[in-house]
Parts: sequence; C-alpha cells; structure tokens
Amino acid sequence: MTNVVPALARVESHDLIEVGFTVNGTPAQPRVAARVTLSDVLRDQLGLTGTHVGCEHGVCGMCTVLLDGAAVRACLVFAVQLQGSEITTVEALGRPDQLHPLQEAFSRHHGLQCGFCTPGFLMSAFDLLSHRPDVTRAELPNELSGVLCRCTGYRNIIDAVDDVACAYREGLPGPGNCNSGRSLVGRNAAGPVSTPQDPVGNQETDADGGGLHTIDAIRLPTSEPTVTITVDRQIGATMDGVARVFSDVQLMARCLPGAQLTDDLGGGRYAGRATIGLGPVKLSFRGVAQIVDQQRDRITILAQGRDAGGSGAQAQFSLAAEPSAEGARLTADAQMFLTGRIAGFGRSLAGDVSRRMFADFAAAIEQAARGEEPVAAEPPSAARLLTAALASRMSAWWAAARSRIARRGAGVQNSDDR
Amino acid sequence: MKAAAFAYCRPATVEDTVAELQREEAKVIAGGQSLVPVLAMRLARPRTLVDINSVAGLGRLDLDDDALRIGATVRQRCVELDARAGVVPLLRLALPSVGHRELRSRGTVCGSLAHDDPAAELPSVLACLGGSVEITGPTGFRRVTADQFFLAAMTTATQPHELVTAAFFPIARRGEGFGFGEFARRHGDFALAGVCVKVSMAQAIVATIACFGVADGPVVRDVSGLLESMLTDGPDTTEDTVRDGISAVAGDLAYDIVDTDGDVHASREYRRTLLSVLLSREIARAYHDAVRSMREVS
Repeated sequence: MTNVVPALARVESHDLIEVGFTVNGTPAQPRVAARVTLSDVLRDQLGLTGTHVGCEHGVCGMCTVLLDGAAVRACLVFAVQLQGSEITTVEALGRPDQLHPLQEAFSRHHGLQCGFCTPGFLMSAFDLLSHRPDVTRAELPNELSGVLCRCTGYRNIIDAVDDVACAYREGLPGPGNCNSGRSLVGRNAAGPVSTPQDPVGNQETDADGGGLHTIDAIRLPTSEPTVTITVDRQIGATMDGVARVFSDVQLMARCLPGAQLTDDLGGGRYAGRATIGLGPVKLSFRGVAQIVDQQRDRITILAQGRDAGGSGAQAQFSLAAEPSAEGARLTADAQMFLTGRIAGFGRSLAGDVSRRMFADFAAAIEQAARGEEPVAAEPPSAARLLTAALASRMSAWWAAARSRIARRGAGVQNSDDR
Repeated sequence: MKAAAFAYCRPATVEDTVAELQREEAKVIAGGQSLVPVLAMRLARPRTLVDINSVAGLGRLDLDDDALRIGATVRQRCVELDARAGVVPLLRLALPSVGHRELRSRGTVCGSLAHDDPAAELPSVLACLGGSVEITGPTGFRRVTADQFFLAAMTTATQPHELVTAAFFPIARRGEGFGFGEFARRHGDFALAGVCVKVSMAQAIVATIACFGVADGPVVRDVSGLLESMLTDGPDTTEDTVRDGISAVAGDLAYDIVDTDGDVHASREYRRTLLSVLLSREIARAYHDAVRSMREVS
C-alpha cells in the first residue's frame, strides 16, 4: 500500500515532469505539470477512458483505481506523486471474451443502468474482496459507500458483489487483462499534453471585483440565506465611543482583520477586498459594499463579492449597539447567500467559530471606541483563525465589512498577503 | 475543478522539507485527501506543494512503552490493518469511520490531525486519550499535547513553516475500556455528531469523553462523577443500567456541549439529540469494556 517514491527537486508550476509508473502491467512515462491528477493522465494522455471522472474532488468515487494494490480516488492523487507506482484500472479487470467474475456478476444482477459509476464500483469491490474475502452481506452497504450510484438504488450492486464474495471466499481472481502487451494509448494517442499554462487564469485579475463595480444596487436573493449568524457581546466602551466607530468607516475597516478598502465609489458604496484563511482554505474576495443604514447605534451593509476561484457571496450585515451595565452591548446579524465552490464546500462550521471571530472583531471595536488604535488580528495561525475563522461562510461578511471599510478609500493596516 | 498551477518538490529529509516551507505560500501534502479537494475547488492556491512522501523515516509505525507512534506519512488504512495498532483500541474503533476505504488508502493519520476538521474523528481520538503531536520546524521538534494542539476549526498549533512529523497515541492499560460512535448521513461522510469515550476502572473511576462534529474542535469533558453516580451496584452494575441512567441526563450534557449552528444537514437541536443518544450508548459501552478488561487480566 505504501510505495516509497524517490525524492524530487523543485519543479516550477510551468514545468513538465516525466513520471514513470506502471499501468495495468505496462510501463508509462507521461509528461505532466504538477497539478495534473492521475485521473486526467489516465484519460487524456493514456487513453484509458474506462476510469470515469465525476465530481473531481473526491466525493463520488467514479474514478476509483488501484494504486499499489489499494483502491484510491484517482482525482485526489497528482500524477507527479506516483513515480515507480503500480496502477490498475478497470481496463485490466477482464477481457471482452473473458470478463472478471465481478463484471459478470454486475451483468447478471443488472448492477448498472447508465453505467457511469460501474468502473468505480468494480474497482472498489475488487479492492474490498481482495483484502476482505470474508466480508458479509450486511457489511457491504458501508464498505461500498465510497462510490455513488444514482440509478440502481444499490440493491443490485450489493447482490452482485455479495454473489462474488460468496463464490470466492478463498480469494478473488486477480485482474485478467494485465501485461497483455497492448499499447496503453487508446483514443488520444497524440492526445493533449496537459498544458502548463492555466487556462482558467491562476493569476488573479486585479480588475474590478469581476465587474461588480458596475452594479447599481446590491440585491439579495429572496431565497433562504445559506448561513445566518447572530452574535452579541458586551464591550466596555461608551455609546459615544461606539457611535464614533460606526461613523468612521476607515476605523471600522481597521477593526476587521484581513480587510482592505480599495476605492470609494460614492453614494455610500465602496470597493474592497478581504482575505480569508482557514487551514488550507485561502480565499481572496473582491467586491462592493453599500451602506444602507448608518446611525449612531446601528449600521447595515449590503455586500457582494467574488473570489478568483469562482466562489461568490452576497450578504446583509448589521451591527447594532445598545447601552448596557458594562457599557454597550454589540449585536451582529449576518445573512449570507453563497454560490460556487464555497457553497458546495461549506458544511456547518461551528457556530462557536463565528462567535470567536466576532469576539475578535468586537474587541477591536471596543479598543477603537475607547480611542485606542484597534489591533486587528493579522493572519498567521491562531490570529488568522479568529479573523478568518468563519472562512467560507464569512466571506460575504468580510466582503461587506471590508467594502464598507473602503468607505473613504483609505488604506488599512492589514495588507493583502498575496 | 482543476487545481491552480503550483510548483512542486519532494524532499528526502525533514530538514529539506522545513527549508522548502520557508518559501512563501508553501503547503505540505501527505495523503492529500483533504487538501486536494480544497485545491480542486480553488479554495486555496498555494505557490508550492511540498510532498513529504519521500521523507525518510516519516512512514514508520513504532511502539514505545507508553504510546503508539505514527509517522506523518503512515496511511490510515495501514494503521487499520496493522496488528500493532491493536494496543490503541479506540483508534481501531474509529478508523473504519474515517472517510471511505478509498480515502483511507491514501489519507494519513497525522494529516487528519493537522487538518483538524471539526467533524473529523481522529482529533477527538487523540484528545480523548490525551495523546500528543510532534511538530518539527527550523529550530527542531517539539511535542504538543492534544489540548494545546487543536486550537479551533482547522487551526492547530502548527505554524506555516512547520510540519507535523508524528502523533503519539497512548497505549491502553488494564482496566481501561473504550466507546466510539457517530451519526453520519452516509457511512464515511463527516459526522453530524460523534463521541469517543475512555473509561478507566483500574483505581478510581475515570471517564473522559471527546465529542466531534458539534463544535469547532474536539470537546473534551471529564464525566467521572457522572459515571460513578450511575454505578449503583459498583462494578456489578450492568451496561444497560448505566446506559439508561445516563440517558436520563445526557440531554443536559449534550445541550452544554453542542455549540455548532444548524446547517442543511441537521439543526442544533437535532445534533443535541444525536449526541445525547451517543453519549449514553458509548459511555455505557466503554464502562462495560473496562469492567471486562479488569476481569480478564485479574
């Protein structure tokens, strides 16, 4: 399962690297950029289109292949990582005149309808039965849960796999179509080498927040928000102090870590950006915010932003203060509508995180309200967390805050770290 | 859904890895089962990926007197299949629920800890057992206990220029028992709620729970007093009695622990209900396991 690959000196993103590995018993030396996945190499360079590609981010299981004898998702492995490895794809399982028992069983039990998931199921089942020939029928639904099927309702698939499991308790026959000497290259003999350039534009367009500047008015969708957050916090500052912060967009901006105002568009509209970092996730949103209500004790902003990676966010963000025994009570309400990848990525991030993040923001406002220079947390590590904590969810929030911050078009202490 | 372009290197030593991590926006990749989806969705676009799969020594699984030491590139599935890992029963209970088999073939134990997803199983396993993590950086390595390591969602004590080189899971002792349970929409998905339990009957009764999927990281609680109050017949109390007793109060405990807001999969209230069921079930199971462990050896 663990093949130790040799070390490799640094290669730049535009370099092509020759990688040597074995596919279905035949050596292959594709030349790839570092970012190219195994699934793309199999299909685009080696012509092995039996490996299907569904979601391309590890959820659906269509691209399941064997890597050094164990099932993996080919879309979650970069080809460059596989020097010296042994890869087995669905093409190796059987020959047209002599199918593998699993293939026969899928046929017999009608374990497929459209067939898109079948290569994934075959390879997942092959891996399962080769490692656990004693697997029981009751265990199959869980054991096969790594591949999705949208046609069959799974029952026939489980019947098929159970049938083979029962027939081969002593061990599953190996792939019947390895080392057949045939050329690996199928359809795309002269197929495209993965281009080193990034057609999607890895470089960030510094332009205008994706044309957002031209939006007259931000309109939020009428659907349910993707995320709703309500948090409050007591702060030790006077209402006058808070009013001073609420009236000074630049100052508020400095309270929001990772945010930067880039332009005052007039009419209470601002352009800006915000960087969000949470673990490996790093988003840089550009957008526009519009202050729709600004009072001594309350400020409401609509915001709309977009990340270069295609994630979008719209939000309404309200911050209100009321007198309390300790000074003031700050309440924040955010309704966010997310689209694109962040929406797909976003499982519930703990509410606690949002509260922590707000606590950080509120602490900065508290400082500002006392007339001190706010210390907004600067990215690295824990600080970044607090700042950015809400990550995906909060992107809209940031967009809002940041853009608002942009009000007077002044710089903010946090520099974009790009 | 293709990752943005990145430079790539695969150093042979930890020193070289640390040196590469000094570069701007460099990111470690081991199994990549959490990172590659993030790259594919372009939620991150690091300039350089530093692949640690060629680093000598990181693929080792070792037993010392107190702990199972799992190196940074040891796959989850290797631990699942390696008989030596039997000394940490809680790890063995949890691993089958970590993603799918196809993800565990490639995903690493240390990677899961370093990623620190709030709904992930392994951080709670480490936290429940009071294990630790070895972090290596430019000035050498340091050992950080679980309670100091997991700071918040997807945020650990690891600095950008450091990497996790190993994790230490304490070996189970006589009189200790374990429980593990989670609810997920589909087996292998991130849990809506889950719990790890460790009970020791060796001397004083000690019971620890670590919950996941319900806050921004593992929530560890000492429930020794709660368990002790259920043992009306001392060590002869049945598992059923303990479970029923705890289920009467588990709702309050869950109310206190569940901190996550609702999402499309489950409301906060539903997560509390799930957690309260898991708590009564798994604390009782761990208690039973501990009693069995006591009797087995004596």
